[in-house]
Amino acid sequence: MPSILKLDAHRRTPTNGTPVSTVRPASGHPAVQVEDLGKDFRHPWTRRVKTAVDTISFEVPEGQTFGLLGPNGAGKTTTLRMLLGLVPPTRGDARLLGRPAGTPESRQDVGFLPENPYFYDHLTALEFLEYSGELAGMSGKAARSQAAELVERVGLGSAARTRMRKYSKGMLQRAGLAHALMGRPRLLFLDEPMTGLDPIGRREVSDLIRELRRDGVTVVFSSHILHDVETLCDRVAILRAGRLLALGTLEQLLADGQGGAEMVIAPRGSLALPPEFVGATIEPAGPRTRIVLAEGGRASALVAWLVGQGHEIVTLSRERRSLEDLFMDMFQDAHEVGGDPERAAGEPVAAREAGR
Amino acid sequence: MNAILAVARGTFREAVRDRVLVLVLGFGAVVLAMSRLLAPIALGEGPRITVDLGLSALGLVGIAIVVLVGTQLVHKEIERRTIHVVLSRPVSRSEYLVGKWAGLTATMAVAVFGMGAMLAAIGTWVLGPSIVGPIVQAAFMIACANAILAALAVLFSSLSTPVLSVAYTLGLYATGYWTNDLRIFARQLPGLSGEVLNVMSYVLPNLDVFNLRSQVAYGEGASVLHLALGIGYAGAYVAAALALAVVAFERRELK
Repeated sequence: MPSILKLDAHRRTPTNGTPVSTVRPASGHPAVQVEDLGKDFRHPWTRRVKTAVDTISFEVPEGQTFGLLGPNGAGKTTTLRMLLGLVPPTRGDARLLGRPAGTPESRQDVGFLPENPYFYDHLTALEFLEYSGELAGMSGKAARSQAAELVERVGLGSAARTRMRKYSKGMLQRAGLAHALMGRPRLLFLDEPMTGLDPIGRREVSDLIRELRRDGVTVVFSSHILHDVETLCDRVAILRAGRLLALGTLEQLLADGQGGAEMVIAPRGSLALPPEFVGATIEPAGPRTRIVLAEGGRASALVAWLVGQGHEIVTLSRERRSLEDLFMDMFQDAHEVGGDPERAAGEPVAAREAGR
Repeated sequence: MNAILAVARGTFREAVRDRVLVLVLGFGAVVLAMSRLLAPIALGEGPRITVDLGLSALGLVGIAIVVLVGTQLVHKEIERRTIHVVLSRPVSRSEYLVGKWAGLTATMAVAVFGMGAMLAAIGTWVLGPSIVGPIVQAAFMIACANAILAALAVLFSSLSTPVLSVAYTLGLYATGYWTNDLRIFARQLPGLSGEVLNVMSYVLPNLDVFNLRSQVAYGEGASVLHLALGIGYAGAYVAAALALAVVAFERRELK
């Protein structure tokens, strides 16, 4: 499998071709503004209404990498399609780069990689990218030049003149990424960008997203692969059954007194902790002593007290909750309380949201 | 305008590589060849039969392209979600539909004029060079008639399934050559049914306007006024059909 980005092992920056995007000043508007957006689908025969996305609100400042996280059917793809005007919203408003979403103008600086992309059978990747560039408003010459650059960039150089009906799923995904990058967009929507890629391809896409962030491109991507979201995103929105369960930076979502702390000390004399650290467990560990705090947030205070008493801190480690822990807790709770995600979330999204 | 041209170019490029087009053109070539083979049994009317059958072949090729390519044009893009590729760009739905129609019409026109050139060569051989002008006029009018049907195919394709779109388009193609008779029949009918049929005869496309087969077979062309009215009628009908398609397509869910 050809590589998407040929990276310098030390610099971790692309070494071939020109950048996929250029650093651009922020417009002053949030890249994405979503206010009380929702979508109901009505069955054409029974007229029964199914809510795909309940009323959700969030903002993505320019230059951020934002992850829409949730299981299948959570409403991630519908949210992206509403923002792009492919599906008209039932309620609410959205703006892309300050322009009302759904209008052609709002998509002027926007790139999109659809989920499980399927392109034109009879076109080659080069022709498809030229077409994509022309649709983005580029001249034929500029589109041809950028298409040639991007097929190399995404590792499709050797298959650039092969009709896409002969492409594997991974190759289509790469062609889709190149399509999304045509026209050097300021805002990129990637719907499940890692789907169909092997581990090397996934790594390369991750590196590409990091490169785009360095260039100031706002990336909004949906995924149910928690590791990708955890390693790439500045902020995350967690959706379930069309509702926003949580929104914030990873630090905010994974903090909240979650996770404990463990320290090993070389005690000087006897050790008796003051009452504010009641609940901490103290165990001998050879010549040393291990102290385990259930609430990691009080670790700093304990360290200060121990040092003040003349004890030597040998090691200190904080248990950090992973996104997977949060995700599993959130969705396990949802099952336990009868599938009501709002109750499962414990508190309203507004209260959980931070960092806007 | 650039977006329309881009969509039209993409549609054209996709259509000309479709194997269906090769089959349709092959079929047209066979009918053209047959028009010469039938000449010896035409009791002295061989050259005229050749032109008449040849122009029929042009019309059939045109409608075959419109039906086989056009009726699934938008529906296929929605099913395969390739439409997301286009409409996630700064392209409006109206530009998309007009571009699709333009690409389909260009494909059909290239095929019709290509075969028209072959027929003109055959016609020159059997009737002399004076037949070229009328054949070009007839080919142009066939293209105009099929441009109307292409707009209707895009309308049906953006709203319905390919099977229904084929049925609707072929239905309008068939009735389109009988609207004058329908109007005469409506006048014979009393009351509301006559009125309804009369209105229908004006709403349905009058494709007979574009039929120059008989006169061209006798070496006669159409008047400038006839051609101008034909172009005007085709333009107005295409605009109306596409406007209807845009209105219906504007709020369509592209899931």
